[in-house]
Amino acid sequence: MKRTLRGLVLPVALLALWELASHARLVDPRILPPLELVAHTAVYQVMHEGLLGNLAASLARDMAGFCIGCFIGVVVGTALGLSRVADSLFMPSFNGLRQIAILAWIPLISIWFGVGESAKVVFIAAAALIPVVLNTREGMRAASAHLVDVAHALTFTRWQLVTRLYLPSALPSIATGVHLGLIYAWVASVGSEYFMTVGPGIGGLIIAGRERFQMDLVMLGILILGLVGLAINLGASAIEARLMRWKPG
Amino acid sequence: MTDGAFGTSGRRRLAFSWLPGIALLIAVLATSTALKADEPVTIRFGFASVGVDNRPYSGGSPIATAQAEHYVENELKDLPNVRIEYSFFKGAGPAVNEAFANGQLDFASQGDLPQVIGRANGLKTRILAAAGAHGPMYLGVPVDSDIHSIKDLKGRKVAIFRGTNNHLAVVKVLAANGLTERDLQGINMDEASANAALVTRNIDAAFGNYGILLLADQGLARVAYTTKGDNPAYERESSLIAADSFVTAHPDLTQRVVTAIVKAAYWSSEESNREALFEIWARSGRPASVYRADFEGQTLKYRDTPLLDDYLIAQYRFQAQQARQYGLVRRDVSIDGWIDPQFLNVALKQLGLEHYWTSYDADGKPQGGS
Amino acid sequence: MRVAAAAAPSWPSLPRGGIAFLFPLSLLALWSVSARMGWLPPQILPAPSEVGSALWDLAGTGELASNTGISLLRVVEGFAAGSALGLLLGVAMGLSRTTEDYLKPLFTAFAQVPTLGWIPFLMLLVGIGEPLKILVIAKAAFVPVALNTLAGIRAVPPIYAEVGALFRFSRWQLLHRVVLPAAVPPIFTGLRYGLTHAWNALVAVELLASAEGLGYLLVWGRQMFWLDTMMGAMIVIGIVGFALDRIMAAAEQRLQRWRLA
Repeated sequence: MKRTLRGLVLPVALLALWELASHARLVDPRILPPLELVAHTAVYQVMHEGLLGNLAASLARDMAGFCIGCFIGVVVGTALGLSRVADSLFMPSFNGLRQIAILAWIPLISIWFGVGESAKVVFIAAAALIPVVLNTREGMRAASAHLVDVAHALTFTRWQLVTRLYLPSALPSIATGVHLGLIYAWVASVGSEYFMTVGPGIGGLIIAGRERFQMDLVMLGILILGLVGLAINLGASAIEARLMRWKPG
Repeated sequence: MTDGAFGTSGRRRLAFSWLPGIALLIAVLATSTALKADEPVTIRFGFASVGVDNRPYSGGSPIATAQAEHYVENELKDLPNVRIEYSFFKGAGPAVNEAFANGQLDFASQGDLPQVIGRANGLKTRILAAAGAHGPMYLGVPVDSDIHSIKDLKGRKVAIFRGTNNHLAVVKVLAANGLTERDLQGINMDEASANAALVTRNIDAAFGNYGILLLADQGLARVAYTTKGDNPAYERESSLIAADSFVTAHPDLTQRVVTAIVKAAYWSSEESNREALFEIWARSGRPASVYRADFEGQTLKYRDTPLLDDYLIAQYRFQAQQARQYGLVRRDVSIDGWIDPQFLNVALKQLGLEHYWTSYDADGKPQGGS
Repeated sequence: MRVAAAAAPSWPSLPRGGIAFLFPLSLLALWSVSARMGWLPPQILPAPSEVGSALWDLAGTGELASNTGISLLRVVEGFAAGSALGLLLGVAMGLSRTTEDYLKPLFTAFAQVPTLGWIPFLMLLVGIGEPLKILVIAKAAFVPVALNTLAGIRAVPPIYAEVGALFRFSRWQLLHRVVLPAAVPPIFTGLRYGLTHAWNALVAVELLASAEGLGYLLVWGRQMFWLDTMMGAMIVIGIVGFALDRIMAAAEQRLQRWRLA
C-alpha cells in the first residue's frame, strides 16, 4: 500500500504543478492548457467529433495489420527454424532488410501500394512480422533434441512433428514474439497515420492538434496512445502467460 | 486410404457429383455476363489539395466548383450505375501520382510539375482540359519579419512543398535571384504544417498559394513576394488529367465528365458569379476573401479557362523543359500526345462555347477565333 | 521401430559464407532482368543500376556524406544524452527500492507512449530545429537504457553484496567494484536497444520535419518520385543502422573480455 502511494506522489505533484502553472499563466496556456480543458476536449471529441470512431479505426487497422503480420511471421519463422537450408538461404537477407529502420519503408510502401488503407495495413503487417519471425525461428530451433528423438521413435509424421512437438515447444518464444509484434504493430499504425494518407485515427488527431496549435488535442492524443499502449502491453502479457501454460514439462 | 473408405458403390455415387457443380458454375457465369452490361462504374476523382482541417473541399479551379456543386453527378444522373468518388490529398500532386501509379484514380485536378514528374516516370495519363491556369505563387513570412525579398531568403529556414507546381515556380524564382534550393534550408512541408510552422516562427518563410493567403487574411503572416505581376514565365498551371485506362475503357463517360467540367468552367467564368464563386470555394475552409485576393485584378475567364490552346501547350512544354533543366526530373519529357483536346472540343461544341473563352497563342497573345 | 534419420541436406554442401549471398544475388539478377524487360513499370521498380547511379551521384556531390554525417551527429548527441539519463535513472531505481517506488510508475506511464506520439508535442514546445531532433532521439534511447539498467542491477545476486560486506567495501566501492560490473551485460543490452531505437527515432523525426539528413533525402526522393534516390537512401539507412549496431556489439565483446580478465 505504501509503495502504491509512493508511486502516486510524483504524478500527482506533476499534475498539480501543471494546473498551477497553467492557471497562474506562468507558462503560456497554449503550451500548457489547464487539465480541465484537456478533459473538456476529451468529452467534446467523444460527443461531437467521433473520437471513439477514430480510436476504433486506429485499432481495427492495427489488428488487421497485426493478424496478417503475425500469421505470416509464424509461418516464415517456422520454415526458417525447421529447415537449415531455408535458414541459410534466406536469413541473411532477412537480417539485412530488417536493418532498414521500419519507418524508412513508408515512402516505398506508399508508392507500391498507393493511397488507401491497404498501404497502411501492409506497413503494420511488416512491422509486426519482424519480431514474430525472429522469435518463432528461435523457438523452433531450440526444440530439445531429446524430444525430437522421442518423436522419431514414435514414428511421428512430418505434420505431427510440427504440430505436436515443435509448435508447443516453441510456444514461449512465439509468445514473446507475438507480444513484441503487438507493440511494434501499434507503433507502426500510429506511424502510418502520420506519414500516409489522412484517414480516421488517433494519429490524425494528434497531427491536427499540432497544426491547429491545440495542445489540448495533442495531449489528449498522447493520453489515449499511452492508455492503448498500456492496454496492449497488459493484453499481450496475458496472452503470453496463456501460451506459456502450454509449455511442455 | 483411397480403397477402403468409400467402396465401389460410393465411387459410382461420386461419379456424377461434379454435375451440379458444373451447372452452378454455368449459372454463375451466365448471370455475371448478364450483369456486365449494367456493371457499376465508380469514377474516382482526386484533388491535389485538401480543405482546412482536412475538409473535403477544394477551391480555385472549375473542378472544385464542379465537385462542390455536383456538376458531374448531375450530368450523369441518367446512369444510376455510375458513382462518383472524390478524394482529397494532403500530399498534393505527389500523392495524386502515387494514386495514379496504383490505378487508384481515374481523374485528377493536378498541377504542372507533378504531372510532368508522373509522365517522366511512365504514368499513362492524358490532359483533357485546363483547370486553374495562370496560377500565382506567394512567399509568406511572419508579420514582423525582416525578409522583404527573395534575396533575403539566403540561409533561412523555408518551407517548400516539393513536387508540387509551387516547387517549380520556387526554383525559377530563386534562380532569377541567383539562388538555388541548396542556398536555403528548405524543409518539405504540406500546406497545413507550413502554416503552423510559419505562425509559430519555427520557420522563417514559406512558399505556397492559398495557405499563405489564408494566413495573410488572418493577419498571421505577410506576403513578402508574389509571382503575380512578375514575369509570366513563373506561372503555375493546373489541369484535368485522366488515366489512359479509364479514357479508353469509357470514352463516353469521359466525354460527359469533361462536358460537366466545362459547364462548371463556364459558370466559374461569368463575372456576375464572381462573389458567389468565391463563396462556393470558401467551403474549403478558406474564406472568400482569400480567393478574392488571389483573383484580384484578373478576370475569371482568364483563370478558369478550360482551353487547351497553343499557349497552354507551349507552357507545358516549357514546364517540362524547365523541370529537366533544374534537375527536378531526370529525363527529357516529351509532351507530344499527352494533351488530348478531343473531349474538350466536343464539349465546347455541344455547349456552344467555342468562342466564349479567348484562345492565346504560344507567345500569350490572343488569337482570333479558337 | 524406425531409427531417427539424420536430417540429410538435399543440397550439395555450399561454402558456408557463400550461401548467404545466393538469395540476394539471385534477387538482384531477377530485379535487373525485370527492369530490362519492363515487367514492372519504372515508377514501381527502377533498375538496380539506376539505384546505384543515384547513390553514386549523391556521393559525388558530397550530399550523401553531408546528410549521413548530420544524421549520425544527431544520433550520437541524442543517444549520449538519453542513455546518460537512462543510466542515471536505472541506477537510482536499481539501488534503492524507495526511489523505484517513487519513480517507476511515472516512468512506466511515460514509456507507454511511443516516441512518435511525443514528436508533435515536442514540436509545439521547441519548434522544429535541432533541439527537437536531439530531444526525440534522447527520449527513444532513454527508455530501454533505463529499463535494462534497472533490470541489470536488480539481477545482481545478493551474494555479491554479502561478499562486498565481508571485504568491508564502502557503499561507493560496492557500487563501482561489484554491482556495476556485474550488471554490465544487461546494461549493454539496454544500450544496444537504445541505439537501435535512437536510430529509428532519427528517421522518424527527419521524415517529419527536416532540412537535411538521410530521412530528408528519403522525403525528397518520395516527393519527386525518384524511386532510385529513395531506395538508395533506404540502403544507406540500413547500412548505417547495421554499422552502429556492429560497433555496439564489438564494444560489448571488448567489455566482456575486460570483465573476465
